[in-house]
Amino acid sequence: MLDTVQMVVIYTFVLGSLYLLLSLGFSVVCGVLRIFHLGYGVTFVAAVYATWMLMKEFGLGLIPAIAGMFVIQCVFTLVVIYFPIIRRYAEKEELLLTSLLLVALVVEEAVNYKYPVMAGVNIATTILPGTLKIGAASIPNQMLIAAGVAILFTALFVIYLTRARSGLVIRAVSQNLEAAQLMGANIERVYALAMILSVIPPTMAILVMAPIWSIEPAMGWPLLQTAILVAILGGLGNIRGTLWAAYIVGFIAAAVAFMVNPRLMGLATLIMVVLVLVFRPEGIARSESLW
Amino acid sequence: MLLNMQNVTKHFGGVVAVSNLSLSIKQGEIVGLIGPNGAGKTTVMNVISGVYKIDSGKIEFDGMDITNKAPHEICQLGISRTFQIPRPFPDMTTLLNVAVGVLCGKHRPHMSFGDALLDASHCLEFVGLFGKRNTLARDLTLYELRALELARTLATTPKVIMIDEVMAGLNPAESLRAIKLIRRMIDEYHVSVLWIEHVMKVIMEATDRVEVLHHGEKIASGTPSEVANDPKVIQAYLGARYA
Amino acid sequence: MVRVEHKRGRLVFHIKDLKLEWAIEPRYWRNPLLAVGGLALLPIFFSGRPDMLTLITTATVYACIAISMGWQFVGIGRLNFGPQFFVGIGGFTAALLSIHLGWGPLQTLPIVILMGLIFGLMLSPLTTIAKGLYFSVITLILPLVFLEFTYVYTGIFRGESGLSGIAPLVNLGMVKLNYVVSCYLSLVMMLVFLYIVDKILRSRIGLYAAAINDDEDVANTMGLNINKWKIVCYTISSAMIAVTGWFIAHYFSTFAGVTYLPLAFMLKILLMVMVGGRGEIYGSVVGAYFVASLEKGLTALGPIHHVLFPIILLILLFTLPEGLYGLYRRHKYREYFPTIRVRKR
Repeated sequence: MLDTVQMVVIYTFVLGSLYLLLSLGFSVVCGVLRIFHLGYGVTFVAAVYATWMLMKEFGLGLIPAIAGMFVIQCVFTLVVIYFPIIRRYAEKEELLLTSLLLVALVVEEAVNYKYPVMAGVNIATTILPGTLKIGAASIPNQMLIAAGVAILFTALFVIYLTRARSGLVIRAVSQNLEAAQLMGANIERVYALAMILSVIPPTMAILVMAPIWSIEPAMGWPLLQTAILVAILGGLGNIRGTLWAAYIVGFIAAAVAFMVNPRLMGLATLIMVVLVLVFRPEGIARSESLW
Repeated sequence: MLLNMQNVTKHFGGVVAVSNLSLSIKQGEIVGLIGPNGAGKTTVMNVISGVYKIDSGKIEFDGMDITNKAPHEICQLGISRTFQIPRPFPDMTTLLNVAVGVLCGKHRPHMSFGDALLDASHCLEFVGLFGKRNTLARDLTLYELRALELARTLATTPKVIMIDEVMAGLNPAESLRAIKLIRRMIDEYHVSVLWIEHVMKVIMEATDRVEVLHHGEKIASGTPSEVANDPKVIQAYLGARYA
Repeated sequence: MVRVEHKRGRLVFHIKDLKLEWAIEPRYWRNPLLAVGGLALLPIFFSGRPDMLTLITTATVYACIAISMGWQFVGIGRLNFGPQFFVGIGGFTAALLSIHLGWGPLQTLPIVILMGLIFGLMLSPLTTIAKGLYFSVITLILPLVFLEFTYVYTGIFRGESGLSGIAPLVNLGMVKLNYVVSCYLSLVMMLVFLYIVDKILRSRIGLYAAAINDDEDVANTMGLNINKWKIVCYTISSAMIAVTGWFIAHYFSTFAGVTYLPLAFMLKILLMVMVGGRGEIYGSVVGAYFVASLEKGLTALGPIHHVLFPIILLILLFTLPEGLYGLYRRHKYREYFPTIRVRKR
């Protein structure tokens, strides 16, 4: 019994931190641009496959490839997603959501065409191989490092939002768009900055977890599902709420996996989303702003 | 006593919008409801038409208790309202806008869709919008939108119409037309009116009785001239120096 | 009591105190008759090629889903991002009944309609409780819940591989004749759906649906019982979608949740509605046929078609403001052209 509790606690921490990193970007887009970024899965797929492409086709090392991938991600987000789609269809939401989904589908199919599942894509970002034994639980070191990276990144994010000047402007825009505009905030730049910021956490997450999770072109969708879940539970676009929600979802996933039935993990989290959306769609957070 | 509000209170969180208010309208009466901004006048209207549920008190209409009934039931009993910022159905034509009111406002036995459109045309003709019957509601001017609001209330064959600041934004010529239209409505359809207005001239001339709200409470009530000279009312509008 | 009169070119039905009129106007029958005639000749034209007949049948079935969606999103005022949930309900009901009880398609149909109505009724409080965007997200996730369910209870639902051995729709001995007759059946189903939804949208129920879509709070204060009508629209259109699931299960004799429940299928249907003619039911038919033929035509180009298909649809979505149907017919000014509202402010 104590063993299961131990496993649940450890995996709550690890899974929770991972989910937090995954959904941070989604919350930022939701909170600042006030849209439901259904094409968020694209960042995961693009991160992995752009790195692989740079390493394979252009022969770059791992670190230059990652740097190049960041550049490609930012350019892609601005040129393909932000300017043509979001700016154009800000008012017509049905077109917005459909086109975001379509872009994600296009990227997934293009990646599938070039590097199908059998191509053996893998990114060797293992920093510490092996597993750590804590009591009765053994957990891959990489996952602990991923959790650490997640917490570090979230802390950096929060510091940026609270201390830096542009972070302050982002928070202002997320609270009251018209007032921020009247006080001189350049909304276009803020939105572009928010979109770029939203790309960083998922990229870090997938880079760190690449050795453990399976890499396939369709991997964006389950991760998008988790991000939506955590973001909704935490209150769309509120980072404090997302913090709490990530660990709650991590707890439910770990508890169901270890104490009930591992196959019911996905179902449990999905049912929880539906219940939250029906009974308390505002989520945990009390405020409508980013932090 | 057609419509009777007794000791109605409504909070929104910590803010008390309407506090222990008692209001009544007799058959055929025109009652004005005035007060500075934020006094709770539109909240009173929302509460009577059932959009908000009240925290305490009772509302009676025509001998029936309508406290906390659903808005559509209240409309079918005979209370209609207009909106301060006109809210038509933007993608539907004027005729269809009014037709919704005709079909839903009351149980109409033996009325087909075509008959409802005919009835809607009558209402439109009354307010002077028959020429715009095939215009989409999003393409109407402000005066026409206000007239459409009035046509929609007439379509539901009400006993009480609640009019919310119909003069706001109209130039003097349009204001005169609007007052004449409402006068005709009251004369020909024999409705009782609860009229929220900021333009004092209209209130003084058109209403039988005036109630004054301030911070959700009734501070004065009486004929227009009595209320205009009441020191409490003057203090509420202009401050203690002028009272 | 029911009384029927005929005056001034219209049939008037008096049912108790409800009066319904049906205008008989032969001058407007030309285009519909031409279209029906054209559609009727289509299966005969392709009678030697079962793959084309399957294409036509699947396109017709997708069109049926799109037609029901066209009514649903107006009637509830929200965009349902998961119509395939009811396709799954209809398909699995038909499949399970047929496999375990040996029932034929005519016997499973009433049960499928019943299950569609029951589930629609169970889920209909969502339309009254959940606001626009949250409703879309819930309906986005529901089919995924269903899919997980089929994976968990894989003994019953046979999660990955799907159920097979469902009684076929028609069994006339010759395979080619089966295909042609099934194609005709699907066309008949689509025409019935089109007729029902068209009549509904032109009647007072269509007016209520338009009022709910445009501004439901105002409609509420005008005496329209929005909760009742939202529930009615949602339940009946969901039952109609379940019937399409029934057809799919019996036509292909197999039904796998993994084909019809994930996001890709929903996206296809949504695109048929959008690319065909933003929300118009005749446009969705055009869109369905176009998307199905595009998919089939692109397969000739090899594996690259998986990439080209969404790209072409994206381009069409961007460039055609009123969809493909808008190229044929400009909608008239005083027609009701609904604004699809996802988020209600």
